[in-house]
Amino acid sequence: MRRLFYLVREAWANMRTNRTTTIVAILTTAFTLACVGIFLLLYVNLRSAAGWLQEDVKIMVYVEERLPREGMQELERTLKSDRMVAGVLFVSKEQALGEFRAQFPADSHLLEGLGENPLPASFVVTLAPNFRSPDAMKGWVERVQTMEGVAKVDYNQEWINVLAELIGYIELVAIGVGVLLSAAAVTIIGNTIRLALFARREEIEILRSIGATRTFIRIPYFLEGAVLGACGSALSLGILKLGFELFLQQIQSAGRFSGMESLVSFFPLSSCMALVVAGMGLGFAGSVVSLLRVGEGRA
Amino acid sequence: MDAIIQLIHVSKWYDRRAALSDVTLEVEKGEFVLLMGPSGAGKSTLLRMLIGEEQPDEGQIFVQGRNVTKLKQSEIPYLRRKVGSVFQDFRLLPKKSVFDNVALPLVVQGASEKDIRRKVTEALRAVGVEHKKDQPPNSLSAGERQRACIARAIVNGPVVLLADEPTGSLDPERTGEIIELFKLISARGTTVIVATHDPQVMRQINGRVITLAQGAVVPERRATVGVGV
Repeated sequence: MRRLFYLVREAWANMRTNRTTTIVAILTTAFTLACVGIFLLLYVNLRSAAGWLQEDVKIMVYVEERLPREGMQELERTLKSDRMVAGVLFVSKEQALGEFRAQFPADSHLLEGLGENPLPASFVVTLAPNFRSPDAMKGWVERVQTMEGVAKVDYNQEWINVLAELIGYIELVAIGVGVLLSAAAVTIIGNTIRLALFARREEIEILRSIGATRTFIRIPYFLEGAVLGACGSALSLGILKLGFELFLQQIQSAGRFSGMESLVSFFPLSSCMALVVAGMGLGFAGSVVSLLRVGEGRA
Repeated sequence: MDAIIQLIHVSKWYDRRAALSDVTLEVEKGEFVLLMGPSGAGKSTLLRMLIGEEQPDEGQIFVQGRNVTKLKQSEIPYLRRKVGSVFQDFRLLPKKSVFDNVALPLVVQGASEKDIRRKVTEALRAVGVEHKKDQPPNSLSAGERQRACIARAIVNGPVVLLADEPTGSLDPERTGEIIELFKLISARGTTVIVATHDPQVMRQINGRVITLAQGAVVPERRATVGVGV
């Protein structure tokens, strides 16, 4: 018990003795990790947006112009009985025209010159959740396209693919920036530990002379590194949260992106905890690097 | 008698200069040995080898039957728990109380709170600084600090106590007191080796004297003048 108390007290004493270095290390680590956090936040939000858009994909099955009523009913039955289909909504030619006029009132005169309604009837199909992956959707569309009475199948997958590609790039950048800045955080904490080792070299010498094992000597420095990493990480989350709230305020006051604030979100509590633990791990790694490089002296 | 320390043809060089040259000697259990010689004679090198801080270039060293030259790095701390060390510059932690300084070897070994309290109190009483236990080392006199250092070295009951110039920072009166303390510790069965170049120390010891000169052992003699304090 006294040993544990001793080790914790030594770690605390280390941080107190080198107060300025400790604070600087926490602040620098916090800003470094906040930079990583920005990319992570962007990545998480874009991923969730992509998932949400994927959920909302509607497939338009346009019916051939001269398809008789029976053929139309047969096609509807076929679509509804398909195990990949969750919902089918019929849009007649008239409804299509009405929707066009409602959506583009300024352009509705374009259709008036044509006399006959040029818009085809269609079925708006929503696929079951298990079949909303790009591959499954593509396979279904190819199959339906060959069905009798189907003129064309259209869906807005393309720009979702573009978004997915963009997310892929951001993921790469986030990984690259994350690795670089994490290495920077490890170095910052490692240097702080190195200073602590230097400041306490006489004490370490005494500990060695009275039979302290390497592990015993090292534990306070491991603890110090972990605490610095955790504090830096927690502070970086605070900075990010503040920045995030300011961003939301800007959106709301600008008014141009109203509704967007409900689409973006901050890290959930579990992720915040995981990030603090990750910061702790980085700090621990900093201590390990420093102790390996400088050594607390051979036993 | 059992040899607790054995050096067999031990040599050590620093930049082609021999710090120890073909040293062979034995120290028996409970013996009080003075290691004499001028500065640079190899006394400190020999003591450092006994706690695994230095390795000889040639020869073997045994402490309590274990070959120190064959110990793994991870085994050396356990050797040091059996061999207490006292230094000229005391090496006490200035921010800790005398009690905490003396308790350190026991804390390192994971002794119980009860054991720590009992053994530290006993050690402080044995060296006569029990009344200073709550004070920081810097508030103590040099003699008291050396006593605290000795208390730390004996607190976990080592089989050997090594002292490197333990009276180097003390006046003659305090030197006498410290030597008497070593005699007392030796009388209780601990092997004591005191390295010194101070002839005053030799005059107070009626024991074995090993003299080193330029790294080699000078034929042994016994110190015969025993002057108490």
